[in-house]
Amino acid sequence: MTVVDRDAGPVEPSPRPGAPAESRRRRRHTARWVAAVVSVLGAGLVIVLATRPPATATEVDSPIVGQRAPALSGTTLEGQPFSLASLSGRWVYVNFFASWCPPCQQEQAELVAFAYHHRGPDDVALVGVAFDDAASSAHAFLVQSGAGWPALADPGGSIALAYGVRGPPETFLISPSDVVVAHFDGPVTAAFLDHWLQRAQQEAG
Amino acid sequence: MNAALGHAGVLLGLAAAAVGAGVIVWGIAAKRPELARSGSLYAPLLLLGAVVATVAMERALLTHDFSIAYVAANSSRQTPTLYTITGMWSALAGSILLWGLVLAGYITAMVWRFRRQGSDPMVWWATLVAYVVAAFFFGLMAGPADPFRTVAGPVPANGLGPNVLLQDNPLVAFHPPMLYLGFVGFTIPFAFAIASLVTGRVGEGWQLATRRWTLFAWGFLTVGIVLGAWWSYQVLGWGGFWAWDPVENASFLPWLCATAYLHSVLVQERRGLLRVWNLSLVVATFSLTVLGTFLTRSGVIESVHAFSDSDIGPLLLGFFAVVLVVGVGLIAWRGDRLRSPGGIDSPISREGAFLLNNVLFVGFAFVVLLGTVFPLLYEALRGQQVSVGAPYFDTMTVPIVLALLFLMAVGPVLPWRKTDLATLRDRLVLPACIATATVVACVAAGTRGVLVLATFGLAAFALASNLRQLARATRAAHRHGIGAWRGLVGRANGGMVVHVGVVVVAVAIAASSSFGQRGEVTVRPGSVAGFDGHRLAFAGLAVVRTPARQATEALVRVDGAGPYRPAVSQFGAGTEAVGTPAIDSGPLDDVYLTVDALPTTPGGAVTLGVTVQPLVAWLWVGGAVVVLGAILAAVPGRRRRATDPASAPVPAVAEALGRGPEPDADPALSHMPAASETVGAPAP
Repeated sequence: MTVVDRDAGPVEPSPRPGAPAESRRRRRHTARWVAAVVSVLGAGLVIVLATRPPATATEVDSPIVGQRAPALSGTTLEGQPFSLASLSGRWVYVNFFASWCPPCQQEQAELVAFAYHHRGPDDVALVGVAFDDAASSAHAFLVQSGAGWPALADPGGSIALAYGVRGPPETFLISPSDVVVAHFDGPVTAAFLDHWLQRAQQEAG
Repeated sequence: MNAALGHAGVLLGLAAAAVGAGVIVWGIAAKRPELARSGSLYAPLLLLGAVVATVAMERALLTHDFSIAYVAANSSRQTPTLYTITGMWSALAGSILLWGLVLAGYITAMVWRFRRQGSDPMVWWATLVAYVVAAFFFGLMAGPADPFRTVAGPVPANGLGPNVLLQDNPLVAFHPPMLYLGFVGFTIPFAFAIASLVTGRVGEGWQLATRRWTLFAWGFLTVGIVLGAWWSYQVLGWGGFWAWDPVENASFLPWLCATAYLHSVLVQERRGLLRVWNLSLVVATFSLTVLGTFLTRSGVIESVHAFSDSDIGPLLLGFFAVVLVVGVGLIAWRGDRLRSPGGIDSPISREGAFLLNNVLFVGFAFVVLLGTVFPLLYEALRGQQVSVGAPYFDTMTVPIVLALLFLMAVGPVLPWRKTDLATLRDRLVLPACIATATVVACVAAGTRGVLVLATFGLAAFALASNLRQLARATRAAHRHGIGAWRGLVGRANGGMVVHVGVVVVAVAIAASSSFGQRGEVTVRPGSVAGFDGHRLAFAGLAVVRTPARQATEALVRVDGAGPYRPAVSQFGAGTEAVGTPAIDSGPLDDVYLTVDALPTTPGGAVTLGVTVQPLVAWLWVGGAVVVLGAILAAVPGRRRRATDPASAPVPAVAEALGRGPEPDADPALSHMPAASETVGAPAP
């Protein structure tokens, strides 16, 4: 077997007679220069990763906050009938999404994680509404990400109109008594949703 | 009880790693070799701690000890036993435990393997580095990622069960452990690379010592990646096997770097060149495993965007920074001294091909890394969101893959040092003819598309060239009366088998992604629908209930075979329903079925999602051939370094070699010991 103490390189040849000393010296610094460049790039990467803000969604003022939630019923992308009224008594996040929007793609894994951590039967529920999207691509988008919550097709955009959605992703928090508690614009994270849910639950007592 | 046992195991592991590292440092600092040597005694203790913790976790899972928060969150009484066992790696804290167990196993194996060189400072340093890595991961378990944290308040009567996607397919029992055996295995080459930089001994000895460890880890990583693709193909229901997701990229990046290293290390062994480069590749491979773990943390549903709310994210990032600083700093400090004196004589030579191979693989890794972190960088610098998707990766990587296929055909037939065109023509004329014939045949059969035709042609080129090498090797072995199978084992020949597998994978990916058909059909019970030349007969629905799962299956016969059972499944008390695809797999194409919409009325029509992709099954066959090749390459072949004077820098000999026999085609020609054993001068 190979033995480490026999560690040895091949015999080093004497420098070629023609090799100028200057070129040898210049070559000697290559490793150092490359290492310096790699360090700078690596440090930049670490700094960017370390300083990334936890959430990019913001709460926005919206006329329907504090109002009764507009009706939300129709056929899900799976083809089953659904109505928000069936979730009455539970906290609900309504998420407007589209398969074509990058921030929606970004937040999707967060929503899946959030839904997974809150999968108890009386826990907060998630409802998706496809915004200006083909039902087949919206469905494929949800299936690919592993989303299991009901999502409505919203043909004609009547639901989006009722909620005052301008561009996905937008997310609404709805209380067990069917009141819109908050409206968020931008991609959410699981921690963000948890934070707002706890706050709303405390305020509700 | 389980929690106490688990905590004891974790603390034993942490203490063993920390004390072992401390003893080695003390021994080195105080110049007491016997003390530094005794550091290796702590490895079995480390393994014992990891095993105790693992046993405690599995015991808690199997006895439904819901007083442990991890068990309550990741298993339930209804979960089948298999998925109860795999629950250990279905979330973050448990997968760190698996990581710790694998790492402890590797370190113990390393210490045992080098037990006779215990007095070598190189082994001390390597063991020290390995202990420090182990201490970090056991420290995570002792603190922020404690898998044995107990639930606050009353013990729940039942657990929540694992993520539904993780209890849908038995592959979940194999894919993560294989991936971890690969990921964690790169710790040992890294430890030796650091040791080599610290001690300033960068000769070929340590390469020999760690090449096989790298090959081992690389083989497991390959298995893990292929199984992951297979799992996603069978479970996720969208008919694809690779999505350039950050989680997938995180496993692919170290694979690319390790592949580059496995090639370039041959140049160092044979020619003594590329020493610092090889060390850099080993350091890069390990750094990328840590970065990948940081980017994804763990688990299927985790993504790059979920890290900031995790306790261990900053710690992993800090660890990555330390690895980078230590590795890059040591290379900067030692780089000048360790550089090999010679250079590559001719670009058209084996080492020239390996160098180009390395440039391509590192470029590949850079492209993937850039695509993975670019959204983060862009957002940090410009404050806007972008997403980098498959189009970027496909556009950037397809040319690299084509170049690699070409190189895979030409590289193996090139002699070391230099060659002439006549030799090259002799060896490549047949493969080139086969490649041309393949392209002509494909065009005649109606295949269109420049990239696909180029892939098929270059694949045929590479396949023919590598099979030619294998045929020559087996024939030569047979002629020397040592058994033709000898021509299939050993590093070079195993490598050719790996190449054959890679060619098969490349063809399967090109065919399935270029000629796949996707669509929906709506069928009534008892009727037949056609899709892309296949007949889909829908027999009716069946409802299947088990304690863990309730599923509505559509019974579909494909071309008279079956029935196949795509389903919509619901697991446990949760409300999530997931689609379970069914696949009619064949050598020519796969028919991939999902239930897109169940009938709204009894006896109504079902809407099936159908994806027909040619040659997908060959992806898994090719993956298996790659792994087989890796195993064959690990079997000790006949070393021929010393009879091949290429490593001796005497110009006259090199001249003679340029016209010599193809060294790698004939493994039986050499019976001499390795160069590193005959050349005794220690590196300066």
